[in-house]
Amino acid sequence: MRRSTHKGKPFLEIFSLALQEDYRFPILEIFAFLYSLGTFIYAYPFFQGYAATLSEQSAYSMATTLMGLPLNIFIILMFKNIAYGIGSDLEKATIQTLFSYPLKRHLILTAKLLSAILVALLVFLGTQVSALYLLAPEIVSSYPVPVFLAYLANVGYALFLTAILLLLTLKTRRGGLAVVFGLIMYFAIAVIQGIASVIEYLGHIDWPSRVMSIINPATVVGKYYTSGPVMGLSSQWVPTFNEVLLYVFGCYVIVAILFAFCYRYFSRRLSL
Amino acid sequence: MISARDLVKKYGQVVAVDGLDLKVEEGSITGLIGPNGAGKTTTIKIILGLLRPDRGDIEVFGESPWDNPGLRELVGVVHEKAYFPSHQKSLDYLERVCRIFGVPEARAKEVLSQVDLEDASERQIRALSAGMLQRFAVAHAIIHDPKLVLADEMTANLDPQARSSLLDLVANLNKTEKTTFLLSSHILPELSRVCDSVAIINRGKVYAAGKLLELYEKYAAGVIRITLENPEKLAAEVKNLPYVEAVNIDARGISVRTAKGKEENLYEDAAKLAKKAEVRILGIETGSASLEELYRLVVTGERKESQE
Repeated sequence: MRRSTHKGKPFLEIFSLALQEDYRFPILEIFAFLYSLGTFIYAYPFFQGYAATLSEQSAYSMATTLMGLPLNIFIILMFKNIAYGIGSDLEKATIQTLFSYPLKRHLILTAKLLSAILVALLVFLGTQVSALYLLAPEIVSSYPVPVFLAYLANVGYALFLTAILLLLTLKTRRGGLAVVFGLIMYFAIAVIQGIASVIEYLGHIDWPSRVMSIINPATVVGKYYTSGPVMGLSSQWVPTFNEVLLYVFGCYVIVAILFAFCYRYFSRRLSL
Repeated sequence: MISARDLVKKYGQVVAVDGLDLKVEEGSITGLIGPNGAGKTTTIKIILGLLRPDRGDIEVFGESPWDNPGLRELVGVVHEKAYFPSHQKSLDYLERVCRIFGVPEARAKEVLSQVDLEDASERQIRALSAGMLQRFAVAHAIIHDPKLVLADEMTANLDPQARSSLLDLVANLNKTEKTTFLLSSHILPELSRVCDSVAIINRGKVYAAGKLLELYEKYAAGVIRITLENPEKLAAEVKNLPYVEAVNIDARGISVRTAKGKEENLYEDAAKLAKKAEVRILGIETGSASLEELYRLVVTGERKESQE
């Protein structure tokens, strides 16, 4: 019997395999181009206005403007990676092949998720941070907290959506179906959020916005930094800074629970 | 090496495996034989730790196979439908698998040549034909020199020559590397070429298991093969003989199992019945049951016993 010459590095091999499959030419190139386009071309015209008024509010508005389009691209890239990286592996049973390698199931999922989420996140944040320091260095250095909170809240929401999509993918084992559900969910939450705002302003109640802030903490961060009246109507809820931190933290706790549930299902329950 | 006790696996209302017991001895080539839907694939998936049984115990090398990376270094697998990351090139992917298992990368070329795929080493996996993909799956299964190889319908999609060479490879690995094989198939003649043991499975149960020769001795002793024209005509008559236990018909004749010591009676009676039915007997021989006949005898015999 032939003996192994050295211990292999299964995790790194599965990770690099996932990278090759998720970002094979020209996927990474297209998304990097879209990120750059969204960041530098789309957001640039608004920057002169923000740069003229140095304040926490303008720093927050600048960050949300800058990430507006790229955040959507980031979410779509993660959805694509989950649906076609993990979903199609389950659908086509490629996962059976991966399960024949000497690696725990949770490490296989970690390798896939690192490729699907972390790399997409790094490209997104890399482009954003470059743009912030190139286009408005004074605002970022003067008001780092609103900028940081804006990113933390929006990335938290994106991760919440991704965790739900992962759960759907694992349950349905069909990437295409899961991504359709994911996109419907994404738009449904946006619509519900709009309705919640209308109820808040017209119905003079604040709980719809509080509930939506648990799922999407960008809502509470937005209310904290831009609490002025909308079309003459005042917001019913002006959160404190501690509340902002609590909601952002709460969102990440929910995301962690959802991912933990996915891991548990993948490791202990997933039968092929 | 493999020990399964009282395995049960249901998919909704469908019972795929129903109280299955199985033992595979080290160094053997065991055939898991049975028709489509008998529970072979489910059994293999349970052995591989891809499925959890609803009931029963499964041990491979004395350990539970579920999420057990250590065990995977000892086991190779060929799935009925092989799927690999499709955009990878054949050789590149196998070299990656070498790195995963910690074997020298040169082994990748070696196994590709063992399955006659050297010429396809630069092709993407998605560009391989069904037969080539099956051979690639075999190369992938043996790349880390596993002690045990599980193969589910390994020779499906292959032409006769490729089938033959893969079976030779199995026999050779068993002989030289002492690799144990569990081969599932419903194509019995090819299994009989290489298997020394079989487990006959039907409706999720193992009807009989053991060394092939012992099973022939137990179930096919007293089997007489009669080659003739119009086998249905004679079979109908032979079935009524009091000492006949089972009759199997195929296009070229009938196989008859008699009670112990009654073989001579059948020679005489068959000749008389053939004359009466105006059927020409072309040949009669004893102890020549095929694996397919053994399977039928076991399954029909068990049914008969359970009905009694």
